[in-house]
Amino acid sequence: MKKSDNEYRLVMSGISKSFGNVSVLKDVNLKVKHGEIHALLGENGAGKSTLIKILSGVHQKDTGKVVLDGNEIAPKNTHDGQVLGINVVYQELSLVQDLSVAENIYLHKLGATKFWMNWKELTNNAQELIDSLGFEIDASARVRDLSIVQKQVVEIAKAISEDTKVLVLDEPTTVFDPTDIKKLFNNLFKLKEKGISLIYISHHLDEIFKIADTITVLRDGVDTGTLVAADTDKDSVIHLMIGRELKDLYPKKDSKIGEEPVFEVKNLTAKDTMVNNVSFSVKPGEILGIAGLGGSGRTETAKLIFGADKKKSGTLILNGKKIETNSPVDAAAHQIGFVSEDRKEEGVFLPLSIRRNISVTNFKSISSKLGFINIDSEYKKVLGLIDKLNIKTPNSEVNVKNLSGGNQQKVALAKWLSIDSKVIFIDEPTRGVDVGAKIEIYKLINEVAKKGVGVVVISSDMPEIMGISDRILVMHQGTIYGELQKHQFSEENILRYAIGEPLKQTN
Amino acid sequence: MAITLKEQLSSPGGVLKFLVKYNTVFIFLLLVLFSALISDVFFTSVNLSNLLKQVSGIGIISIGMLIVILTGGIDLSVGSMVALLAVTFAILVNIFALPLAILMTLAIGFGLGSISGYLVAYQKMAPFVATLALMTIARGLGFIYSKGSPVTFKTYGGLYMSNFANNSTLGIPNIAIVFFIIVAIAMVMLRYNVFGRLIIAIGSNEEASRLSGIKVNKYKFLVYAISGALAATAAIIVASRTNLGSPNMGMSWELDAIAAVVIGGASLNGGKGTAINTLMGVLILGLISNILNLLNVPSYPQQVVKGGIIIFAVLLQRFERK
Repeated sequence: MKKSDNEYRLVMSGISKSFGNVSVLKDVNLKVKHGEIHALLGENGAGKSTLIKILSGVHQKDTGKVVLDGNEIAPKNTHDGQVLGINVVYQELSLVQDLSVAENIYLHKLGATKFWMNWKELTNNAQELIDSLGFEIDASARVRDLSIVQKQVVEIAKAISEDTKVLVLDEPTTVFDPTDIKKLFNNLFKLKEKGISLIYISHHLDEIFKIADTITVLRDGVDTGTLVAADTDKDSVIHLMIGRELKDLYPKKDSKIGEEPVFEVKNLTAKDTMVNNVSFSVKPGEILGIAGLGGSGRTETAKLIFGADKKKSGTLILNGKKIETNSPVDAAAHQIGFVSEDRKEEGVFLPLSIRRNISVTNFKSISSKLGFINIDSEYKKVLGLIDKLNIKTPNSEVNVKNLSGGNQQKVALAKWLSIDSKVIFIDEPTRGVDVGAKIEIYKLINEVAKKGVGVVVISSDMPEIMGISDRILVMHQGTIYGELQKHQFSEENILRYAIGEPLKQTN
Repeated sequence: MAITLKEQLSSPGGVLKFLVKYNTVFIFLLLVLFSALISDVFFTSVNLSNLLKQVSGIGIISIGMLIVILTGGIDLSVGSMVALLAVTFAILVNIFALPLAILMTLAIGFGLGSISGYLVAYQKMAPFVATLALMTIARGLGFIYSKGSPVTFKTYGGLYMSNFANNSTLGIPNIAIVFFIIVAIAMVMLRYNVFGRLIIAIGSNEEASRLSGIKVNKYKFLVYAISGALAATAAIIVASRTNLGSPNMGMSWELDAIAAVVIGGASLNGGKGTAINTLMGVLILGLISNILNLLNVPSYPQQVVKGGIIIFAVLLQRFERK
């Protein structure tokens, strides 16, 4: 079956790339047609990002050829790439916090055409663009004041404001809730109709099968196959991704749930966020899921309980005793743990070693009264945790920034799992984490619950929250709108509560 | 390209890797070698002990600067604090018994540092601004209390201190011993004590520190207070060396201290830096002045050379980071 290359807009062939003596890509091929959505899949570290960065001009290939519309190209930097019509929405947001939405969208164009700025026109154009995407964002607002979802939308708007030929989206939906994802997908379909070629990177197989026409899988820097989405299924894709069959994503939980709640929240209302009148309780050994749309106040609730935000009213009861948490220091003293959704900004210390990261919450057990650390017991403890959590690293002195997302997340978890927490809040436990590491993290969460800890998991990933929770609370507009027992778990039920609708009556 | 080049160079034997990693030590040794070759006087005990005496004061405040910079802050007030506290010590030692005068000066230094610490930690003032204000205030107070002219030591206690500051033990100047002890304490505290670990954590990610239940404000407050106490220590030493406290002392020392910390490889963003490297930074700056003095280079060209060395040292550290 020989096809002419003319039907392809973009052909990357025989691409190889090494950093030092580490070979990241080995003879990789990627062909993208006009007006198709081409999914690029692979576990963390498989080489997806490097391939994209070669395409966009961040990195330069060692060998191989990149052909766009019949012409060989070799962008030396991202500006070259943009001029050629290649735009990338990166996973790490790259917006300027202190500029407005409009300024960010046209940042690369500012000053390029005229000497004077026409602010009004700029803002109007940006507003039109955002409106056409179907999201509600004020184009004159400062990016700093936007929610993370809105920021991601701006990022996307920025990428399509050019004469785009190839648009790459690197995990665009990690922060989105289902309704936003739907909106995004509609936009992607529109772009596709316009003839733009989209390369879509995601860990969500469900999403991939909803939108992709073609799927290319990378594993350890080699492309293991290109499949037509309509002719394949999840299992085959997973097989290509991890090289083995995937039996059970959500490991079985066998912890005993206690009778009396270990932690109760009564009528909690925030001073500065939308959280109002939140009440719930979690029992020892229970995994309580909190679902809801983006902006429904899930993270804010956890931060409020943890003392990171200010409370207006409400009561917290730990093991039957009323407690106050006016700061994270108080919360930590009461053995309440919190793993942030924003791993890089709030979870780990990127420039510090794994050992220093894990020890930060742990000094009580490994230091003397005067604060002198027993280095032997520190190593013992840290190496034990690295082993137990299966953190993939040559040793404990590797800086966390050099680890993959999944392993960084394990370090963030290790910080709290190693101390004896009574309640632990885990916000988006597996965001941006590959399938293999996901299973390990779920196992870990189960183990924590087994020790009799009350585990509260916040997640936007519906299959995940249904897969691991014993019970799910659904938040809507800053309060808990409904509670689902295990037999009621379904995407529909969660979504109904999340948008403030009652459940369908069934008999 | 840069990465592959570095990889290639560093793979055999790791000699280059070692040199890049310990670049401050490397620069230091190179300077020593260079100085020894260029001047016969350099390796005399008189010159070396002079060198150590000259750097001890700045060295001590550099350690304070280091712990502030580790948290991601900066302390511009230390130079002026040295002036104010030298005057203070001279006044106090003429009134009170020596141990009491020393303790009071240290306490006042700690107190003045606490003001910066309070403003930064609890009032969320930018460290640059808070300590800039303190810098002006301290210098002004120094002139007010001394009425603009140096205050000389008049009592036996003052005499004792001046003897101590100008003498040596086992060939090492006493004040250098004080400096080395402070460096040693800082090394131990930064490496093996929770205090050091936490200030480094705060400097590398303040929000993550807060959410890890660390008392971020307390530690930010403390580093400025300690920096103040170290400025007091430096003030006592420099005053004792000259037998007087003058409001003109410590002029622009804060900049030398920052330079020493930066040459020592610390990041002004916080979270990175060690006491031993700051010691190297101090010695490198001292050595440059020393050798240029021996070569009779006037002071203005000396400043140019110093600036050049700072740039060179920091460029070399970029290698390491890659």
